[in-house]
Amino acid sequence: MEFVISHLVKNYGSKQVLKDVDFVFEEGKIYGLLGRNGSGKTTFFNCVNGDIDYNSGAFYFRENKDSEEKVILQPEDIGYMVSTPTVPEFMTGREFLKFFLEVHEDIKPDKTIDEYFDYMVVPEDDRDRLLKDYSHGTKNKMQMLLNIIASPKLMLLDEPLTSLDVIIAEEMKNVIRSQKQGKITIFSTHLLDVAVDLCDEIVLLHNGRLEPIDKNDLGDAAFKDKIINALRDADNDQ
Amino acid sequence: MINEYKDILFKVIHLRSIIGYNSLVFALKKTPVIGNLIPDKLYSTTFLKVIYWIFHVIVEVFKLFIGKIFGLGMIYLAAFLLSDQYIEHEMVQGVSRSAMYGNLGLFIFLLYAFCGILIRVPYFNCTTEKEYLVFMLRMDAKKLNETLIWYDLAKLFIGYIMAGIFAVITGAPFWLWLGIPVLALAVKFLGIGLQILSFRFKSRLHKSLKISAVAYLIRLALVLLAGPFFIVFVANGYFIPMPQMVIITVLTVIAGIWGLTMFLKTDSNLHRRALHDNISKTEVKATSQYDNTKSFKKIKAKGTVKGDKKGFEYLNALFVKRHWTMLCMKPVIFTIIVAAVMILLSGEFIYGYYSRYGADNCWNMVITNIINFFTFRGFSDPLLPVGNDPAFEFFRYVAQSHLLALMIPLSISDNSFKNTQAMFINCDNSLMTFSFFKQREKIIKLFDIRLKQLIKINIGPVVSLGLFADLILFVTGGQSYPGEYLVTILVGFMLSILTSVTWLALYYLFQPFTTSVVAKSGAYRITSIIIYSVASILVWVPLVSYILAPVLLVFTAGYVFFLRNRVYKLAPKTWKIKS
Repeated sequence: MEFVISHLVKNYGSKQVLKDVDFVFEEGKIYGLLGRNGSGKTTFFNCVNGDIDYNSGAFYFRENKDSEEKVILQPEDIGYMVSTPTVPEFMTGREFLKFFLEVHEDIKPDKTIDEYFDYMVVPEDDRDRLLKDYSHGTKNKMQMLLNIIASPKLMLLDEPLTSLDVIIAEEMKNVIRSQKQGKITIFSTHLLDVAVDLCDEIVLLHNGRLEPIDKNDLGDAAFKDKIINALRDADNDQ
Repeated sequence: MINEYKDILFKVIHLRSIIGYNSLVFALKKTPVIGNLIPDKLYSTTFLKVIYWIFHVIVEVFKLFIGKIFGLGMIYLAAFLLSDQYIEHEMVQGVSRSAMYGNLGLFIFLLYAFCGILIRVPYFNCTTEKEYLVFMLRMDAKKLNETLIWYDLAKLFIGYIMAGIFAVITGAPFWLWLGIPVLALAVKFLGIGLQILSFRFKSRLHKSLKISAVAYLIRLALVLLAGPFFIVFVANGYFIPMPQMVIITVLTVIAGIWGLTMFLKTDSNLHRRALHDNISKTEVKATSQYDNTKSFKKIKAKGTVKGDKKGFEYLNALFVKRHWTMLCMKPVIFTIIVAAVMILLSGEFIYGYYSRYGADNCWNMVITNIINFFTFRGFSDPLLPVGNDPAFEFFRYVAQSHLLALMIPLSISDNSFKNTQAMFINCDNSLMTFSFFKQREKIIKLFDIRLKQLIKINIGPVVSLGLFADLILFVTGGQSYPGEYLVTILVGFMLSILTSVTWLALYYLFQPFTTSVVAKSGAYRITSIIIYSVASILVWVPLVSYILAPVLLVFTAGYVFFLRNRVYKLAPKTWKIKS
């Protein structure tokens, strides 16, 4: 399975945020979407998730590059994890999970609620507390857990590790790695080290376009400088 | 010292002007339609900044002269007119007109000063420019407050001297002209001294130095009391003899000197703490998107949902349980008020009857008419037959032919708008990031559940208002056709459904709220205005209830069906987080 983005354009008034995004993402890989602050990473995700309209272009799934059939994305195909986790604050973690499993009648859970919490390392004393009292990291874990249970074809992770402590960030990275099979994961960040550490492929979003970075260079010492220079050049171009 | 004050004052006025100008441009940019046409360059246009600066200075001058002259001028005018009346009607003996003018002028001023705005000292409220200067630019808080206080008092003194010219021209004694401005300063210093005393007291108790709302309430109560007192006082030709007035004045001046000493002795730390605890950010509130979310964060953690509710039913039941006060308190209070009014009116009627006809007759009348009401008949009593009172006829006409007017009280009791805000900020805002929440079937399922919930919340007000209308029908002759009592409640019920479905559908079709719960959508506003306008015209349309009820029944069914259909078709696209 591949996720194809074809000539996606998004403007805010006279400002072109996404100029011509054209890219193919492959199944089973984690893509690090790297870009400077304000480069349009969240806008890109919002367009794909259907939260905002875009000006032109298209995106769809296809079986492989030889396949003619374009499969239009359905809401249930996408899992979107926003950078600032928002959860229904009036529910406890357990109530939220119960509700989530009930509304997803098609999902046959392979774990109990507590086993899911254990899997995501959600502390026991948090499970029956209101979500409004959860820490930023635990809210993030809840959001991630629900996306894992829903098991969408495409996972959009918008800076999910930002402002997490070292332990939770490491736990989240492990979860993301363990979940990559059978789906396409696009992970946005403005932190180069995180992208290098976690992702199979790195894609630069700059100047409103997506550009792949050769994955063979990932171990190269000069790789970071190369990316930084690329982003700097893009900034100068703008 | 003077130069230092001058520098600080210049900085404050300059900063105020910049904040004022930028806030104005910001507000214009946030205005629907016009906002898109306004370029960012406006923030840095020197020419416009200069114009705004001139405008700012004019406003300062206006506040200096016009405000003070008008305020004190009214006092002098009242003293002038009253002294004429006192002399003309010989209410006082052996006092000259000029002395009376002075006496009354001083009396009214003291009343105004202590009850009104003069004792108010807003110097410890931390406005945006004070916040910048003290907490970001590290300016000495005491020096800043001193500068602003001296500046304000200088304006007050000059303004009052100018206003006094009017008094002197109209025959006031010379001492009144010079005395009032000095007394005004004393009152101000007294206010400052009392405020500082309160801060010191709180500081010793390690409490926040927040300015207490109690002071405002006391002032409001004094203002409300002073009016009637003043009218009674002067209407009877009373006045406080001059020696006593002098004592009060001298005591005020001494208190003012005490206040000044307190003010001068206070260290910078207290000023800084007081400013810190009273940051108001009024300019920001006025122009930016004020964060309203705090009022939606009062979630009760207690309890859970019992029974076999699942999925969206479970979500909704939990939501209502945890937000009960926020969602239901207003309709409940409204119901209690309507019920209390009905009980009071009935009680008053029964008491009147009892006083007139005695306990036995009263008891018989009450029992008979309770039975009559619940068996759909009208009020009947051999001792008090229903007459052809014009007031009765009017109320009966309203209860029979103007039931659409129930929309007015129902719109007061209805909490659907706030409920949709709570739904968004505490529930949907987060769930909208999940794909299942945007699926058409799931959206309409939750819409139906919520509509039923909103209708249920409004049951109390509907029934109480319906019963009120029925009570009017009952005492004015009973039903004019079988089932009229029930039809009246049914009409109220239909109107309530219309209100609930309108707010809910508008929320789903436009989702106007930002994450600060500000309704930002122009289309939402325009649609709301159109609906309000149509409803406010319909309120005045007379239609007898036996025609109105079936018409409304058909209309409500059609309207709900239409809006539900629109939500089903459009909400997957429209019901989303506003970027």
